[in-house]
Amino acid sequence: MNLRHVFVVLGKELTDAVRDRRSLLSAFVYPLTGPVLVVGLFHVIIDAQDIDEPVHLPVAGAEYAPGLLDHLRRHDIEVEPAPADPEAAVRTGSAVAVLTVPPDFGERFREGRSIEVELLVESSRKEGRSSVSRVEHAIARYSGQVGVLRLLARGVDPQLVRPIALVSVDLATPRQRAAEVIGVIPMFVIMAAFIGGMYVATDSTAGERERGSLEPLLTNPVDRRALAGGKWIATAVMSAASLVLTVVTSSIALNYANLEELGISVQIGITDALAIAGVMLPLALLAAGVQLLVASFARSFREAQTYLSLLMFVPMLPGMYMMAASLDPAPWMGFVPVLAQQVIMTSVLRGEGLDVSMTLLSLIVSLVFGLVGVGCTARLFKRERIIFGA
Amino acid sequence: MIRAESLHKRYGDTIAVEDVSFVAEDGRITGLLGPNGAGKTTTLRMVSTLVRPDRGRAEIDGCDVTIDSDGALRRLGILPDARGLYPRLTARENVRYFGRLHDKGGPSLEREIDRLFGVLDMAALDQRRVHGFSQGERMKVAIARALVHEPRNVILDEPTHGLDVMSTRAMRELIRRLRDEGRCVVFTSHVMQEVAALCDEIVVVARGRVVARGTPEALRDQTHERDLEEAFVAIIGSPEGLRS
Repeated sequence: MNLRHVFVVLGKELTDAVRDRRSLLSAFVYPLTGPVLVVGLFHVIIDAQDIDEPVHLPVAGAEYAPGLLDHLRRHDIEVEPAPADPEAAVRTGSAVAVLTVPPDFGERFREGRSIEVELLVESSRKEGRSSVSRVEHAIARYSGQVGVLRLLARGVDPQLVRPIALVSVDLATPRQRAAEVIGVIPMFVIMAAFIGGMYVATDSTAGERERGSLEPLLTNPVDRRALAGGKWIATAVMSAASLVLTVVTSSIALNYANLEELGISVQIGITDALAIAGVMLPLALLAAGVQLLVASFARSFREAQTYLSLLMFVPMLPGMYMMAASLDPAPWMGFVPVLAQQVIMTSVLRGEGLDVSMTLLSLIVSLVFGLVGVGCTARLFKRERIIFGA
Repeated sequence: MIRAESLHKRYGDTIAVEDVSFVAEDGRITGLLGPNGAGKTTTLRMVSTLVRPDRGRAEIDGCDVTIDSDGALRRLGILPDARGLYPRLTARENVRYFGRLHDKGGPSLEREIDRLFGVLDMAALDQRRVHGFSQGERMKVAIARALVHEPRNVILDEPTHGLDVMSTRAMRELIRRLRDEGRCVVFTSHVMQEVAALCDEIVVVARGRVVARGTPEALRDQTHERDLEEAFVAIIGSPEGLRS
């Protein structure tokens, strides 16, 4: 095999690719839109948690319990006059909850008797859930404080009524908590590897035959492996470009997203970004090899595109299985392409550093898969059904 | 010189080529004539290494096409049945790509492309992208691409197919020119007049077999027909598929 031929084919395919709007679109639109979507997603999460937003709480009979209402206001709960029909307001969602204070609140409070205040809620509604629990917590805390004061006033140690105090200690660092949330980023980068070269893989195989240029191409005195190799590298280059761009835009987008609001912090520095790109790049070789083979096998350009779109979901499977089965990272995962990269990348994002031996293993596995794809493609180029179409 | 000896090819139960032999000499135009589906294209694909014969052999200037396919391809310029170009590349880039795959390059390759574009009268197409070219313009690029490595032997599968009158005339002139340069030219056609007008040697193929061969005069004499068209009808047994 003449290596020069590989470069001749590579040069031609890349020239062809960069002059084609469709191949550029498939390689570069996704990396530019994907991370923006992620950041949008984070904002949706943050909004859903409405951490900063004060809770608007209509209260009926507010005048009976000024002390309780002061307490609520201090906890960012804005007290509003109750609507005419509290039940309807809660049911239709115009109020997340309505609190009703009974007229005998002051009297029972002075007498030290338990008071029933009623909180109308609609528990099937999702968006008000955190507001409701904030109100419940605030009231419970007020109740607890008053109780403690009463015991103290009677000379009783409040610890008597709290035999057990549960303290949970969260060992996760903010970065690790963040990694849970940004677990979607590895998915995005993996998708980029498969989307970036998709068009070139199709155009240089099924497209080449459909155009009628495969037959003349094969009448050149060139080893089929050199042809397949050049097309493979061209596909991998587009895939890698898309992948690197996705890492860059994701890092920038993450650094701009206000994740502190979620109580987590993610800052992807240049070192992290380089590590991620380095770990993920071998995926370009893998994706390109497999895509080339599948696209060569297809009977038409359209069929090839359909196959490659379906193929894109295959790399997602190991990661999804891992999440669904709550598997912890294990050494054998280094042998499973895509899953290995996902495990390594997640640990990099968690700030746990780079697992060098697993990274090397994943590089070799991806390279082998890619080379097998190219080798099989080269063999396909000798088959008459592939050369002339069926 | 192109030599085919007893080529056989079948696909399942269909016999595409059954015992085709011919010798195409240097400095002569050899025409493979036959109705559609006679096995002309399959024969040329075997000669040009794309299809492996079930039996028989073919050689280009002594290079066996199955044993030394690269050697055979280096000595052969081919305009195959499919002659697609790369629409996003310019005419020159299309031709240059094949030149480089033939291990040519640098100024000598560019000079050869200049020469071919001059001969084919396509200097105006040089830097234009192929997308939007007419049939005739595409054909010129495909021919230039097939000849860029200056092959001694040239195979043209239906070279005038789809061309208008002017382009067809230009193609015939080119074929004669290649012959006059001393090359071995083999082309296929199902158009009788074309073969009669161009060929020094005719090989008539029907139902996968060579049914007659010789100079146009010899074929006329052999069938005792004055008119060449009547001669072919007599040889093939039916006039079907002989006219364009």
